[in-house]
Amino acid sequence: MSALAAPIIGDHYRVTAPATVSHPVPGPETFESIVDDYQRRLYGFALRMTGNREDAEEIVQDAFVRAYRALAKMDPQQRAELRLQPWLYTITLNVTRNRLRSKRPTNVALDALADPDALLNETQEGPDQPEQIVDRAADMVLVEQALLQLPMHLRAAATLRFIEGRSHPEIAEILNQPIGTVKSHVHRAVRILRRILGPQVGRIVASDRPAAAEEEES
Amino acid sequence: MRCCDVERLWDEMREGVEPRREHVMAHLRGCPECQEVYRENEGIAYCLTCLPPVDPPQSMVGKILDHIKTTVKIATPDSIATVESPIGRLYVAFRHSGITAIALDRGDGEEAVLAKLQRRLGRGLIPSQAPQWVTDTVAAFFRTHKTDLEKVDISELTPFEQSALRAAATIPPGEVRSYTWIAEKLGQPTAARAVGRAMARNPVALLYPCHRVVDATGALHQYAYGVEVKARILAMEGYHPVRR
Repeated sequence: MSALAAPIIGDHYRVTAPATVSHPVPGPETFESIVDDYQRRLYGFALRMTGNREDAEEIVQDAFVRAYRALAKMDPQQRAELRLQPWLYTITLNVTRNRLRSKRPTNVALDALADPDALLNETQEGPDQPEQIVDRAADMVLVEQALLQLPMHLRAAATLRFIEGRSHPEIAEILNQPIGTVKSHVHRAVRILRRILGPQVGRIVASDRPAAAEEEES
Repeated sequence: MRCCDVERLWDEMREGVEPRREHVMAHLRGCPECQEVYRENEGIAYCLTCLPPVDPPQSMVGKILDHIKTTVKIATPDSIATVESPIGRLYVAFRHSGITAIALDRGDGEEAVLAKLQRRLGRGLIPSQAPQWVTDTVAAFFRTHKTDLEKVDISELTPFEQSALRAAATIPPGEVRSYTWIAEKLGQPTAARAVGRAMARNPVALLYPCHRVVDATGALHQYAYGVEVKARILAMEGYHPVRR
């Protein structure tokens, strides 16, 4: 991540899309490695969608069981044509939807996910002052909560786009929606987040890169 | 280009492939409001990428795999092999966990026997050579009339069926017991009929010796392979029904 504040179009940091893991032909025999490869990603996604670790764990478990069942029923041709990663996201999202629907009102970020301990252990460049770290953890909780305030479909779009780093076509495939709809959902999500987080955003960004921000002022 | 269009194109602009890029840039240069929107949007996107990754609990993968093993192992097919035996050609279905089903070809032909087995197991069957442990297990039964139950997998039966079969396995070769005897052994003396059903549904006849279970009068009652076969097996084991 390079200098932050300056350019108004986002080439100053890159949304890092985790590389797509490819399995020659997915099947029940190779399922263990599929679980290994995707559990972390799907858990992260479910966690951002629900804001709750227990929910996320159960969702991922359920999603993999469904995936396994579905894979076992597919013939070799279907398996060969399957795009595993979007497919797994779709299943995870469906399980999440069902779960949240039956469990409203939503438990909006009741357990702070960004726990300060974890942040303290994160190795960051430069010695951070303890109070800065605490501020940062509090800020991250704000971001989490803002995300959870979005309606589910917008939250899914924003999470896939900015946290999971997926492309528009990929999100369209995952959500089974036209690309135009995806773009508009992402757009609406950002607008709402801007409204919720507005005042904090500048501070979070600036506190991250004070030096870079100053440079830009000139 | 209007401000609202420019605002809407922000995310596409980040991809760098937006064909109207030059128009957007031109607008931005002259519009401080849109610049501010873009800056704020970038801030939002940046904040979201800053959310710390949270690792799943270490136990999760194990739980997932266990869950799949217990709930959906049905999905993967069993192997099926033929084993010749003193009572005829046996079709033996098995997987790593043990033998899951046995069928005797009573002249119906391979296709019919396999179709029936497949229905009984509710999953596919892959023809294969019988591995040594399978032929050994079957041969051991005809030689000693005993079975290493570790080599037989009845885990998909109901708990009642499983315990009824385990009780049947305690009947020594050369002897028989009644359905009621098993029901009593299970602590459910009135469940003789349920025991009868469990025996009738035994997918691993011979190995779990449901043939040693007879009705209260000592009549052989029924058998998956036919009552004559039941009598023959019992005779091989040294049991001869008292004629009256």
